[in-house]
Amino acid sequence: MLGRMEAAARMWHVGMTSSLHIRVLTLIVDAICPPPRRAALCDRAVGLCVQPELLNEAMAGVAGGNDFQWCFSQVKGAIDEDVAEADIISTVEFNYSGELLATGDKGGRVVIFQHEQESKNRPHLRGEYNVYSTFQSHEPEFDYLKSLEIEEKINKIRWLPQQNAAHFLLSTNDKTIKLWKISERDKRAEGYNLKDEDGRLRDPFRISSLRVPVLMPMDLMVEASPRRIFANAHTYHINSISVNSDHETYLSADDLRINLWHLEITDRSFNIVDIKPANMEELTEVITAAECHPNQCNVFVYSSSKGTIRLCDMRAAALCDRHSKFFEEPEDPSSRSFFSEIISSISDVKFSHSGRYMMTRDYLSVKVWDLNMENRPVETYQVHEYLRSKLCSLYENDCIFDKFECCWNGSDSAIMTGSYNNFFRMFDRNTRRDITLEASRESSKPRATLKPRKVSTGGKRKKDEISVDSLDFNKKILHTAWHPKDNVIAVAATNNLYIFQDKIN
Amino acid sequence: MLGRGVKRKWSCLEELEVEMVPAAVTEEKEQRGEVEHFVAPSRSEMNHLQQRQRVLGLCLEKLQRYQVGMELSLRRSVLLINTLRQIQEDMQSDGAGAGSPDAPLHGVHPDSRLLREDTREDGPVTCPGCEEGDRDDLPLSPPLSPEFSSQEANTSMDQQKPPPASTISAVSDAVNAMGYLSDLTLDDIFEDIDTSMYETSDLPPVWSTSSLWPVSVSLWADEDQKVRSPGHGSPGSLNELDHIMEILVKC
Repeated sequence: MLGRMEAAARMWHVGMTSSLHIRVLTLIVDAICPPPRRAALCDRAVGLCVQPELLNEAMAGVAGGNDFQWCFSQVKGAIDEDVAEADIISTVEFNYSGELLATGDKGGRVVIFQHEQESKNRPHLRGEYNVYSTFQSHEPEFDYLKSLEIEEKINKIRWLPQQNAAHFLLSTNDKTIKLWKISERDKRAEGYNLKDEDGRLRDPFRISSLRVPVLMPMDLMVEASPRRIFANAHTYHINSISVNSDHETYLSADDLRINLWHLEITDRSFNIVDIKPANMEELTEVITAAECHPNQCNVFVYSSSKGTIRLCDMRAAALCDRHSKFFEEPEDPSSRSFFSEIISSISDVKFSHSGRYMMTRDYLSVKVWDLNMENRPVETYQVHEYLRSKLCSLYENDCIFDKFECCWNGSDSAIMTGSYNNFFRMFDRNTRRDITLEASRESSKPRATLKPRKVSTGGKRKKDEISVDSLDFNKKILHTAWHPKDNVIAVAATNNLYIFQDKIN
Repeated sequence: MLGRGVKRKWSCLEELEVEMVPAAVTEEKEQRGEVEHFVAPSRSEMNHLQQRQRVLGLCLEKLQRYQVGMELSLRRSVLLINTLRQIQEDMQSDGAGAGSPDAPLHGVHPDSRLLREDTREDGPVTCPGCEEGDRDDLPLSPPLSPEFSSQEANTSMDQQKPPPASTISAVSDAVNAMGYLSDLTLDDIFEDIDTSMYETSDLPPVWSTSSLWPVSVSLWADEDQKVRSPGHGSPGSLNELDHIMEILVKC
């Protein structure tokens, strides 16, 4: 082993660029060395010829991103082949602590899972997520004036930071946002004067003595109640909601407008962005996503169907139609096609936890932008470039309009997004390594390690690879979420929710 | 009137689509015919033209679903129409002044009536999962207001201008004809009422080209009220309003 490493290290002298240095070193360290021995061997590598700073960089990446393997933890949802449309999951979101995981579906229901504590006798297992509360958030409505049905599908769920024993979340469909309070009740008052234990009213005249009701423990009951309903503020379909860092306000965005709300006030909101043209026939661009900055409560961004992102500062003006920053990558003229605009349409935008970067998802790629640089992203990751030659077919079957989401891990060192065939992809920003995994029932044995998947693009298909034409475009992973602190991910595959964890050695 | 406007637009776009394809093919053939004298078109050019044709057809098909009453999301409509515009520009740059004969696009008779219950087939089946991020649900409702307003726009164009000269204009007509989910008008409420029985031919032509109600009413905030431009016949609108009221009251 040491001999191979020496040989590879000697390659160092043959004029490699520093990125190649890192790659070679990573390969050596990762592929050959089991974790306990890596440190020793790397010291040896330093002795041979490696520049220390490169070594540190490689080691950091290896340790952070790919030192572990993802394994199956749980799957929620029915196994039937026939999927009821109402059961299709439409949004997934962890709360700030990661203790709760909420999903919304097309039937307007919200299901919240709670993380159970690790059991003491099996400490090597992380706790599981079990159902905590289920409630019907939105019902289908009928707009009589326009003769249109308003779908009850939950487009987004966003948690509020926890301030007391209860949990609060915002859920929205196309038109109405609701603030839900989820609270626990584990005590019940007994010994009322005016009613007996069955609830029957007692005749006041029969009461001869008074008693004070006593709180008795009862089985835990989790109740969800709508505390605020924010309605009638959006003419077009709401695509995003985002809680502000001041924890008092939040924004909601539809195709043409963004409104700023106060959580306590439901009868009015501020319109802060309006891109509706005077003549609707001049409309060429719509808002596709919006998010508040995680630290600066005056800053938010919104993305468009033309692949641009605008950053706005609410201190500048009441109506933020003029952006403060405009992010757009110049188009590569050689790859221009009739589908260029459609595939450039941004389907999701997410700030990093640090607030320094933001990530956008378009049809074929994920881009990381530095907020200080507007003219191009700092990183671009190809999600499924093999689909570029299939765009016409994907246009025909409407898949080209699918809106994939993306998410950061807690430390902003990795990003994740979904693809077709129930594949999802993760990219490590430090090592630039990526992995494709599949959410399927076949690999759903408890604590089974997920095997990396690969799509073959060339002529020769290796064993275990899948060809592009065999991909199932009905199985799409549009919604994923990463635990804010741990390496736990939730992946929504149509009507099933998969939870994966890293293997703790 | 109302019924007439709606029905005319239906057949118009249908014929548009039917004629666009052969017209475009004719245009292509002519182009190639001319070019053949000099240089044969390259394979990639033909592929490009083929693809453009295919995309154009798909685009119109998808937008037509909108007409049938399936609600397209605004984002999707915008993307489709932008694609259509791009194809239009591509065609324009291709055959700039190609001198193709007038395509009989608007062989539309003012009295032509299509049944409201037109059982147009739905477009190609989309994979069920594709519905998720979108609004392509089967309609529970009659077609939307923009269809109506777009029909108005188109009929006015029919009556006021001679038919456009080439497929390029036809595409732009389709583009312009496709309204977006715009502001609500009270016309919508009457859309599904078949008024063919009550239509009279002695009404002024401007009748069918303008909104009957000059100011639209919206369930939402005030800012969404769109006032129709005066050019759409508001000088006579008060009389038209009275006329309608008369008819309604009589019944």
